[in-house]
Amino acid sequence: MNPSRILVADDDPTIRRFIATLLADRGYEIHEAPDGEQAYRMAEMVKPDLMLLDLIMPFRDGFDVLSELKSQDTTRRIPIIIMSVKDREEEIVKGFTLGAEDYVVKPFNSLELVSRVRKILERSRS
Amino acid sequence: MGSTSELLVQALWGIGGVLAFLFLFIVINKATRELKERRALALRQELEPKILAYVNGKGERLGPQLGHLRGLERAVAEEVLLDNARFLKGTARSRITAACEELGFVQNRVVQLRHRRWWKRAEAAEKLGTMKSPKTAAELIALMRDPVPDVRMRGARALGQLDTRTSIRPLLEALQDPNRWSVLRVAEILAGMGPAAGDELVDAFHVLPLKARIAAVDCLGRAKSVRAPAMLIGLLSDPDRDIRARAAHALGLIGDPNFTPDVLKTLKDDAWPVRAMAAKALGRLGRAEAVGPLAEALGDKEWWVRINAAEALRSMGEKGLAALMDALSSEDRFARHAAVATLEGAGVLDQYVEKLASPDATEQEKALAFIRKIVASERTDSLSQSATRHAQEKVREQLGRILKPGEAKT
Repeated sequence: MNPSRILVADDDPTIRRFIATLLADRGYEIHEAPDGEQAYRMAEMVKPDLMLLDLIMPFRDGFDVLSELKSQDTTRRIPIIIMSVKDREEEIVKGFTLGAEDYVVKPFNSLELVSRVRKILERSRS
Repeated sequence: MGSTSELLVQALWGIGGVLAFLFLFIVINKATRELKERRALALRQELEPKILAYVNGKGERLGPQLGHLRGLERAVAEEVLLDNARFLKGTARSRITAACEELGFVQNRVVQLRHRRWWKRAEAAEKLGTMKSPKTAAELIALMRDPVPDVRMRGARALGQLDTRTSIRPLLEALQDPNRWSVLRVAEILAGMGPAAGDELVDAFHVLPLKARIAAVDCLGRAKSVRAPAMLIGLLSDPDRDIRARAAHALGLIGDPNFTPDVLKTLKDDAWPVRAMAAKALGRLGRAEAVGPLAEALGDKEWWVRINAAEALRSMGEKGLAALMDALSSEDRFARHAAVATLEGAGVLDQYVEKLASPDATEQEKALAFIRKIVASERTDSLSQSATRHAQEKVREQLGRILKPGEAKT
């Protein structure tokens, strides 16, 4: 079976490398995007099985990328986990309203993140 | 003459020599720095995968996986660990702390806390905060007596990051710092430490000096201690007006609607800052029984009380907006003005202006009645602007007519 493809979109290279290592060690195929514009283009191109999306990014913010991906037939079904330092109720609610599958607040627990990723991938496969 | 030109030549040679030396110094310095940066980058690429594998659970200790580290290697390893510490919590975060202790980074930074240069001490405190080793609590507590305020502040922040009760007491003492800015920052740090800090604050409150108590009341509103509400309600009748005001504000921050009856009493306090904070808090608590008293507070003689009461009513949804609309017919000029300003801010006035062009005659009539009330309240700046700039001619015409002197009451 092919490994699940995960797109990690975050403008902080340390966070991207950390998540990439964390998930690659568990057998996932990782793609990385350093800004909102590339995140959108790569999501269209790679068609990942899951996307981890930061909210504060150059060129396009995460909410913008999320709503655009959810409005396109080709990318609507990609499950998206928002990862952000923004922890206010209205931001979390906005994330879910726009169609995010989950919302993880930074700083995050890495093992918990792996469990969430696994669970969402299982759910989207079934 | 000859000796003058010789002197000139010698001086030129001297200046040339100094410039050449400076040029060489700058070039060599820049080259060395770039080489060091490149070497650090290469080292990072080499060490980072091993460090990340450890942070993600590989092996019990990081030391054996990295081998013996020297000079720049140690600096890079510490940088990688601390960069990752910024966004992690849980097991991975604890492993970073363990690695910093094991590799001696904690110990090195503790030694640096005694450096003669203050910025080195400040840097050490900041790094120790990120390392989060509870073993450094005593050293960071000692740093709270540093003569430089910035070092004390970084020490306080580091203590706040330690997640240990031992760091709470020295932070409480730091609330007595003569610098008001430091006190506010320390209060923020304490509030971020959660219920444990709140409980300690409740215990220590009455022995703190006045300024520290005022800052402590703010913390109590944010630290989520279950013991805080009872204490804050008691403080609503403190002899000091600032304490009473901050206590009302803190109860609003906690946000339990059951506080409403106690906070309502302070809306009649003799001191206006207390009334202003009570109005703000009542808006946060959001209970319907506060609407009437808040509407009454729109006529308070102090501007801050009026505006906070109006904002509180606005935040209470339909019932609050209805009270603001009623206040437009108040005999009290202050109350009318506060209501108009808030209704403008809430976009209600614009909504009614739009309705002037509605095809529905009843809607149009309602809008006219509302706008006449605004005109009668004698605060028409926004309406006058709409009368000249609105996109629809019909609206401009209607507004122009209403705004003519003597027209509002017809």
